[in-house]
Amino acid sequence: MLGLLDRAPCGFLTFAEDGTVLTANITLLEILELSRDAVLGQPFEKLLTISSRIFYQTHLLPLLKLQPAVEELFLTLRRGSGDDVAMLTNVAKREEADAPVYDCVFMQLRERRKWEDEIVRARRTAEEANRANSALLSMMSHDVRTPIGSISGYCDLLLMGIRGELSAEQRGDVERMKKASEYVLSLIDDILSFTRLRAGEVAKFDMKTIDVESVLAQTEALIGLRIEQAGLSYQRERCTSDIKVVADPDRLQQVLLNLLTNAVKFTPKGGRVTVSCDVEGERTLINVTDTGRGIPADQVERIFEPFVQVPGSAVAAGMQRGFGLGLAISRNLARKMDGELSVTSKLGEGSTFSVSLRSAESG
Amino acid sequence: MKEILKRNNVKVFGNGTQPMLFAHGFGCDQNMWRFVTPAFADDYRIVLFDYVGSGKSDLSAYDERRYATLNGYAQDVLDVCHALNLSDVIFVGHSVSSMIGVLAAIREPSLFAQLIMVGPSPRYINDAPYLGGFERRDIDELLDTMDKNYIGWANYLAPAIMKNADRPELAAELTESFCSTDPVIARRFAEATFFADNRSDLAKIDIPSLVLQCSDDIIAPTNVGEFVHQHLRGSEFHQLKATGHCPHMSHPEETIDAISQYLSRAASRHNRPVAGARGQKELRAE
Repeated sequence: MLGLLDRAPCGFLTFAEDGTVLTANITLLEILELSRDAVLGQPFEKLLTISSRIFYQTHLLPLLKLQPAVEELFLTLRRGSGDDVAMLTNVAKREEADAPVYDCVFMQLRERRKWEDEIVRARRTAEEANRANSALLSMMSHDVRTPIGSISGYCDLLLMGIRGELSAEQRGDVERMKKASEYVLSLIDDILSFTRLRAGEVAKFDMKTIDVESVLAQTEALIGLRIEQAGLSYQRERCTSDIKVVADPDRLQQVLLNLLTNAVKFTPKGGRVTVSCDVEGERTLINVTDTGRGIPADQVERIFEPFVQVPGSAVAAGMQRGFGLGLAISRNLARKMDGELSVTSKLGEGSTFSVSLRSAESG
Repeated sequence: MKEILKRNNVKVFGNGTQPMLFAHGFGCDQNMWRFVTPAFADDYRIVLFDYVGSGKSDLSAYDERRYATLNGYAQDVLDVCHALNLSDVIFVGHSVSSMIGVLAAIREPSLFAQLIMVGPSPRYINDAPYLGGFERRDIDELLDTMDKNYIGWANYLAPAIMKNADRPELAAELTESFCSTDPVIARRFAEATFFADNRSDLAKIDIPSLVLQCSDDIIAPTNVGEFVHQHLRGSEFHQLKATGHCPHMSHPEETIDAISQYLSRAASRHNRPVAGARGQKELRAE
């Protein structure tokens, strides 16, 4: 007899080191629809469904050999009628004179089980979606990106006159094909970058002390022609060579290139793009300011969400719209470098995007 | 080499030269072997490791495609052997690792001197007239049970650590998170294990082996152990009194005895010095 424990509002059972059931309270016996004689002296394992027996042998018993207790186990027991009953189980080892015994408490799972089933289903669905995502990425990488790369390459061959001289008209067509293929490639690269960042698949960041001026110089070399073609003026302010930050130089360049490309896209001809630097103690700000149409106040934070672009935003001549992933990627990259990307904007006057990074000691 | 040792959390100790490579089964990690390895440490070079995805292995090295089947895990065994430049290996595999050892030995038989299988099963699901012990729905239910248990996985281990705050030596051990692993990986390991069929692989190796069969083992019943013995050329079959599926944890002395005696017989067949008895005596003296 177990006294008060016999009618406690939970099942209770004790088994010996070899698994033999030593005691069981009335609550548990009633749940299992079994007599005490049918349970005592039997292996505990025999009260479990087959799947729970496997879990008991492969997980629970090894754990109990290595540690004194296991909590919140999901086990399914079998009633005398043959029905299954789901239990939340705690097991604790108790040292007795000659050998340890194991005390188990069982709480019957009813409504809670439905919710747990729901969680498991949701997780499986998420896993499947994740697998589909991986498959899509793989398809994008190999089945789409590679042939488009070939199209771009063949355009180059034609433009070089390998297949004979092109007429002016043909040259124009091939240049447009080349430009279109490069555009599709950049979209694919954006999607791949964004998805990998979100999945945490980006290779380690090479964080080191770098001077902002040299990264800016490399970025300007890549964007300079576009700024010129868009009919914009460009200037750099307060970004001296003694300003140093801790960042991955390639990732920082990617962020700055994204910001400058955006500035070019959304600033009308005759406008100005300015890059400035401000050291504020432990943080250094690199600001990209444009004189574009600005962002409505209610859209300011949304523009960092993937696939979001400001409705009706003007696109500079010769620039094509993307997927709206550039800022999402850039903010993600900035944060992974212990930094932040934020924006201030005034409708009709322009926007300033600021990358905040950890300052390094100058010198 | 260092990458593999870190990736698989490889531990090497012992005073002997011949390597004994212990491979854990599904559900736990190299800690499973802690009750038997001291008995062999005087005479052998003990090598312990965690499969990628288990224990303290490098989870970032987990590749879904590689570890979708037991072959990926067999490659872990071979990688560890190569990283440590092992040869003449006595492979001791528990449960699914028995078949992982067989797959590794098929690929590179010259690495292995002996295969010792604790509770092996080449196929867990019944396939008449073969009786593996389970129906497919049992395994589906197991996967469901695992999913449910991994919901509370953090609670699974943490309370035990907190309760032993006054016993720092135990608390320190527990921070190693026995058997903890990523729930998704654990589920995939379960699928790779319980849906495998390695019956036809048994005939592909010709390496002396020992089948250690537990009594009343629901996961690897006696008829399955006998099947393994019948299809493995040159194997010995040893019936343990130990019940359950983890005799190396529940009955370490009987397990040590059986392995030591087998290795003694194998050594005398090959005129090697008999090893293992000393460690066995020392363990018993404790």
